Amino acid sequence: MIQFKKVNKYFGPFHVLKNIDLQIKEGEVVVIIGPSGSGKSTLLRCINRLETLSDGELVVNDVPLHDKKININQFRRDIGIVFQHFNLYPHKKVIDNIILAPMKVQHLKKEDAKKTAMYYLKRVGIEDKAYNFPSQLSGGQQQRVAIARGLVMNPKIMLFDEPTSALDPEMIGEVLDVIRSLAHNDGMTMVIVTHEMGFAREVADRIVFMDEGQILEVATSSEFFGSPREERARTFLSRLINH
Amino acid sequence: MGNFDVMLVFDHWDRYMAGFINTIQISIIALIGSFILGAIIAIFRIAPLKPLNWFGTAYVEVIRNIPLLIVVFFFYLGLPSLGIELDGFVSGTLGLTVYTASFIAEAIRAGIQAIPTGQTEAARATGLSYLQTMTHIILPQAIKIVLPAIGNQFINLVKNSSILAVVAGMDLMYYADLINSDTFLPLTVYTFVALFYLVLTVPLSYAVLYMEKCFNIADN
Repeated sequence: MIQFKKVNKYFGPFHVLKNIDLQIKEGEVVVIIGPSGSGKSTLLRCINRLETLSDGELVVNDVPLHDKKININQFRRDIGIVFQHFNLYPHKKVIDNIILAPMKVQHLKKEDAKKTAMYYLKRVGIEDKAYNFPSQLSGGQQQRVAIARGLVMNPKIMLFDEPTSALDPEMIGEVLDVIRSLAHNDGMTMVIVTHEMGFAREVADRIVFMDEGQILEVATSSEFFGSPREERARTFLSRLINH
Repeated sequence: MGNFDVMLVFDHWDRYMAGFINTIQISIIALIGSFILGAIIAIFRIAPLKPLNWFGTAYVEVIRNIPLLIVVFFFYLGLPSLGIELDGFVSGTLGLTVYTASFIAEAIRAGIQAIPTGQTEAARATGLSYLQTMTHIILPQAIKIVLPAIGNQFINLVKNSSILAVVAGMDLMYYADLINSDTFLPLTVYTFVALFYLVLTVPLSYAVLYMEKCFNIADN
């Protein structure tokens, strides 16, 4: 479903992604972990081409993303993304945040779009906030709206870019619960960048460990957290656990 | 009251009104023209195409950094040597439009760029096109930031229109000069001219304030 082949990415002289090879199957939940600046987010953002490749091949949903001629707007309908800083539209009410893409991209009627939107708002547990502005919601609620905005397009793949890193500690749980339920009940293909190791261990089919732009280790969750092969993965984990 | 004669405004009412109405026309034409031109230049400056960026930057940096009088003289005195004859009204209004557009372009560009890139990313990631993202997400947010700056430019524009007096542009200031040379009562003549300008600019500044307030209410 997602296939990286020898992908390289540079920001100016800085080599952010080095020879990335990775395959993700349909229905799989893959969690990418690693120290800050290791290229996790960049890797994730390549999947819906918020970042372009410098070289190599990346095929997602049978679409070759290294080909500049593809219809990118068409392609992006099938991929939802949730950002660290939510990126809700502050001038639109919660419901209007969610129905914009269904109306403008899928050309749904407003009533139909609203029905679908309410279904997903209920799903993330905040249907009573539909007619509030984002600024009237807590961080955790805003992030749940962002998840609903991603789900409403009924995507084949959901991407989560550090979805809880900007949240107060007491709100992390409510967001992780929603993602966990997507993983367990919907069997959706998901790629998640996170620093929540307990969550990663529980939800991931596979763990991808990155450092300095390289994938150092790919293993099942129990293998990785039980006995990571790589020395750097071991130090990374021990630092997180012993702080 | 040898130096100040209130009745003067009534004696010369026709000429005051002729100038006043022309100044309103000049202002409205230049206001619409400079907004459209300014918006185009702003889009040139941020569009993902290098030659457009260069053109936009060159326009802004050249035009806003030379005196308005020289821009107007270019149209009034410069173009005739290229075979294009324009009267004072047209060349003055053109100069004013071209000049004000450079400031408006900067205000619009700054407003658009003040919107966090995350907004564009979120919109594009759901499959919205560049144009849809601009119209539904970026511009509605940018307009709130831009409005006070543009309002100030419009007030400046009305005041700057007095430069047309120099090129016989038939505006309020031009007629004031005529009345003054007939009456030799400069204090009276120009005090009334100032009042006529205030009649235009004060409502304009309140209109800007009102619009800002409306947008703030819509926001929360």
